Amino acid sequence: MKWITARRRHPLAGYVVVILALALFGVGYAAVAPTSDQAQAQTLAADAPSPEDVDVAEGKTIFDQTCASCHGLDGSGGEFGPDLRDVGPAAIDFQVSTGRMPSMNPDAQMPRKPMVMTEQELADLIAYYNESIRNDGSGADVPYDVPDIEPHPDDFAPLRSDFDSEEAYEEAVEEAEAEYQAALEDYQAEYDAYISGADDTEMGMRLYLTNCAHCHGWSGGGGALTDGRWAPEIHESTPREIYEAMVSGPGAMPMFSDGVIAPEEKQELISYVKTLQAEPDAGGIFNLQRVGQVAEGLIGWVVGLALIVACAIWITAKQRAHD
Amino acid sequence: MSKTTQAPKALRGVGNFIDDRFHAAKMGEKNLRKVFPNHWSFMLGEIALYSFIILLLTGVFLTLWFKPSMIEVVYDGPYERLNGVVMSEAYASTLHIDFAVRGGFLVRQIHHWAALIFVASLVVHMLRVFFTGAFRKPREINWLIGVAIFTLAMLEGLFGYSLPDDLPSGMGVRILQGVMLALPLVGTYISMFLFGGEFPGEDIITRLYMLHVLAIPALLLGLIVAHFMILWHQKHTQYPGPGKTDKTVVGTPMFPGFAVKAGGFFFFTFAVIAGLSAFVQINPIHLFGPFTPTSITSGLQPDWYMGFMEGSLRIFPNWFDFQIFGYAVPIGVLVPGLVIPGIVFGGLGAWPFLEQWITGDKRAHNVADRPRNAPVRTGVGAAGITFYGLLWLAGSNDILSETFSISLYVTTYIFRVLVIVGPFVAYFVAKRICLGLQRRDRESLEHGYESGIIQQLPSGEFIEVHKRNSEETTEVLASKPEITSTALTEPAADDKGVRNPESRKAKGRIRRALAEWYTKDNVSFEGVEPHTGHHLHHSEEAVKEHASH
Repeated sequence: MKWITARRRHPLAGYVVVILALALFGVGYAAVAPTSDQAQAQTLAADAPSPEDVDVAEGKTIFDQTCASCHGLDGSGGEFGPDLRDVGPAAIDFQVSTGRMPSMNPDAQMPRKPMVMTEQELADLIAYYNESIRNDGSGADVPYDVPDIEPHPDDFAPLRSDFDSEEAYEEAVEEAEAEYQAALEDYQAEYDAYISGADDTEMGMRLYLTNCAHCHGWSGGGGALTDGRWAPEIHESTPREIYEAMVSGPGAMPMFSDGVIAPEEKQELISYVKTLQAEPDAGGIFNLQRVGQVAEGLIGWVVGLALIVACAIWITAKQRAHD
Repeated sequence: MSKTTQAPKALRGVGNFIDDRFHAAKMGEKNLRKVFPNHWSFMLGEIALYSFIILLLTGVFLTLWFKPSMIEVVYDGPYERLNGVVMSEAYASTLHIDFAVRGGFLVRQIHHWAALIFVASLVVHMLRVFFTGAFRKPREINWLIGVAIFTLAMLEGLFGYSLPDDLPSGMGVRILQGVMLALPLVGTYISMFLFGGEFPGEDIITRLYMLHVLAIPALLLGLIVAHFMILWHQKHTQYPGPGKTDKTVVGTPMFPGFAVKAGGFFFFTFAVIAGLSAFVQINPIHLFGPFTPTSITSGLQPDWYMGFMEGSLRIFPNWFDFQIFGYAVPIGVLVPGLVIPGIVFGGLGAWPFLEQWITGDKRAHNVADRPRNAPVRTGVGAAGITFYGLLWLAGSNDILSETFSISLYVTTYIFRVLVIVGPFVAYFVAKRICLGLQRRDRESLEHGYESGIIQQLPSGEFIEVHKRNSEETTEVLASKPEITSTALTEPAADDKGVRNPESRKAKGRIRRALAEWYTKDNVSFEGVEPHTGHHLHHSEEAVKEHASH
C-alpha cells in the first residue's frame, strides 16, 4: 500500500480513480447483465419442421392465446392490431420469426428479438392461418426455397431426463452432435447455393442501392426514418426474412412483390447485401461498425489529434515551479 | 593556439565559398539562434504543417495511378466482388490503388486520415490564437491568411473526397451542386459551367482533380509559406512570465533545442497518422461501390470539417422559400449553404478589426492574453464554438437519432432551438467562469496559495496556512492587463447634460455601447500588492507566534 500512499496526492490521482471506478462499473455491469445470446439459446428449439408435419389444432390454440387479443379471433383485426386475412403467410412468418410479433406495445415499432415460440409452433400457426383465416390465396406465400436460419446446436441437444443411464445419454449427445454437424453442412450448402447462385453483382448492387439503401443504409446497418421510426439493420436477417420483408412490406417498408422485383432479381439483391456484409474489412482491423464519416471524424479528433497534442504537451513539459 | 576548434579544411572551403556569396554564416547564425517560446499550445500549428507535408507526399504517390476520368469501364481486377460492374475509370483506378498497388491501400488511408487531422489541427491552432489574443496587432494579416488557409483546406478536402467517384463522393458533389443551384439568377449557369452540362456529366472529376492536385494546393502552399515568413519575422507570441515582455522573447533557441523537438514531433505526428491508417478503416470505397445518379444511401455524411454546413442545411426550415416571376428562391438552401458559412468565416476574418475598433487599442502585442483576462472575447469564442459545434452535431442527426433511439424530427427541433439558445448560454457561462478565475487570481496574488496544512492556534482557532506563490506565478498573476477602450475616455455627456460629439453620431453610439459591453465586469487588480493579504499575514504571524511558545 505504500506505493499508493506515496502517489495519492499526485495531480493525476483523481483522474485515475475516476477511470478505474468507471471501468469497474462497466466491466461489472457487462458481466452480470443478461445478453441476448443467452436469451436466444434458451428460446430457440426444435429443428425446422417440414410443412406437411403440422398440427392445425395446435396452431389454433397458439393463435387464440397469442394473437387473437389484438387481431381478433377470426384475424379480422381490432383496435390494436390490423386485419390479417389478406397479409399472407410470408408476413406471419416474418413477423413471428424475427420476434416482432407478438408485440408488447402495439403503438411502438418493434425491434428484432428472439422468437418467442418454437419452429414447430410457428409452422402449426401458419398452417392454421392458411386454413382458417387467410382469404383464399391472398398475400405472399412463405418462400420455402430461400434459406432460413442456421441450425443451432441446442436444437439437437437431448435432455438428460429422457435417458436412464449415463452411457445412453452420452451416446445420444454424440449422435446429436453428428446430426447438428450434418444439418449445418446441409444448411451451408443450401445457403451457398442460394447466395453464389447469383453472380450478377451489377444487378444486385443497382437493385439494392436504388430500392433499399436509402433506408437500410449502404451496408444494411439501418437508419433513421421520419416520425420516430427507423429502418432496422439487416445483418442478422436470413435470406428468407429479407425475401419475406420484401413481399410483405412490414411497418413503414414498401412492398416489393415478385411482379416488381422478380424472384431471380431478389436473389441477386439478397446475395449482394449478404456478400457485402460478409466482406472482410480490408482497411484495418477496426471497421468502426461501418458507420462511416461520423465515426471517422470522432476517431480523428479523440484519438488522432488528442494523441498528437498529448505528445506536444509531453515534449514541451518542464519542471513546474512548485507553489 | 586558439581555444575554438577549427572545422576541417574541406568543410571550411565549402563554407567560405557559400558565405562569400550569400552571407550564409550571418543569416544562419541569426536564424539558428532564433528563440521559440516553450509551450505546447505553440506546437498546434506545427501539427497542421506536418500533416500538410504528409498530404503532399502521399498525394504525389496517389497521382501516379489515379485516373481522373469518367469514362465508363467494366471492372475486371483483383477485387473480385465487383468484377463485371460498370464504373468510371476514376473509381476503377482507385480500386487499383487499393488492391493492385503495393502499399497503395495504406497510403490512401494515410492521405485520408492526414486530411482529417490537418483540418482538425488548423481548428485547434486557430482557437489557441483566438483565445490568447495572438491575432492582435501586429499579427492581423497572418490571422487573415490563416482564415484563408482554413477555408481553402475545407474546399480541398471536399474535392478530394469527391475524386474516387464512389457512392459518398457522388452524393457530396450532388449537395455542392444543389447549393450552387440555389444562387438566384446565376445558379444554373454556374452549375452548367462547372459540370460542363447536366449533373453529373463527364467532366466534373477531371475538373475537381485539377483543383485538388494543382490549383488549391498551390494556393495553400503559397499561403503557408507566407504565414511562416510572417511568423518568422514577427516571432511567436508568448505567455506572460518573468522576463517575457512585448520586447523580449524567452524560450529555446532554434538550434539545437527546438529543431530536435520539432523534428521529433514530425515523426510522432506521422506515427499517429500511420498508426490510425494501419489499423482503422477509413472511407472504404471498395465496400461503397461506384456512384450512379440513381443510387442513394442513408447514414452517409461528409468528412467532419463539412459537417457544420451539412448540419445547417439539415435543420434550416423551408418557411422562407418564395417564388418570384415563376422562379423559386430557396432561402432554405441559400441561407444555410452560403450565408451561415459566410457568417462563420466572415466573422473570423473581421474579429481582429472589430476588437481593435471597439477598444481603440493600436499598440503592438507580443505577450499573449490569458483567456480569463479577456472575458468578453473568451465568451464570444465559446459562443462561436457552441454554434459551430451544434451545427456540426446536427449534421449527423440521423446517426444520433438511430444510435440513441431519438426521433429524427425531435433532433431537428432540438437543434433548431439549441443553435440559437446555446451560443448565448455558452457566452454567459464562459464569461462567468473567466470572472471567477480572475477573482481567484486576485485572491491568490494577495494571499498566496492554500497549502493544505491546517493548524490549530493556541486560542483554539483553526487556520489554513497560506504560502507564498513562486516568483513566476506571481509574475503571471500580476500581468493581468486592464481592459479599456478609447471610446470611454470621455463621458457620454458633460455635467451640463450636453452629449459629446462622438456619441451623437450613430457609429459613435454603437462603438460606445460595444466598448461598454467589452470592458465592463472585469475584476480590478488595481492597488493589489502581491502577498500583502490579511490572510497570509495573519497565518504566518500566527504560526510564528505559535512556534515561539
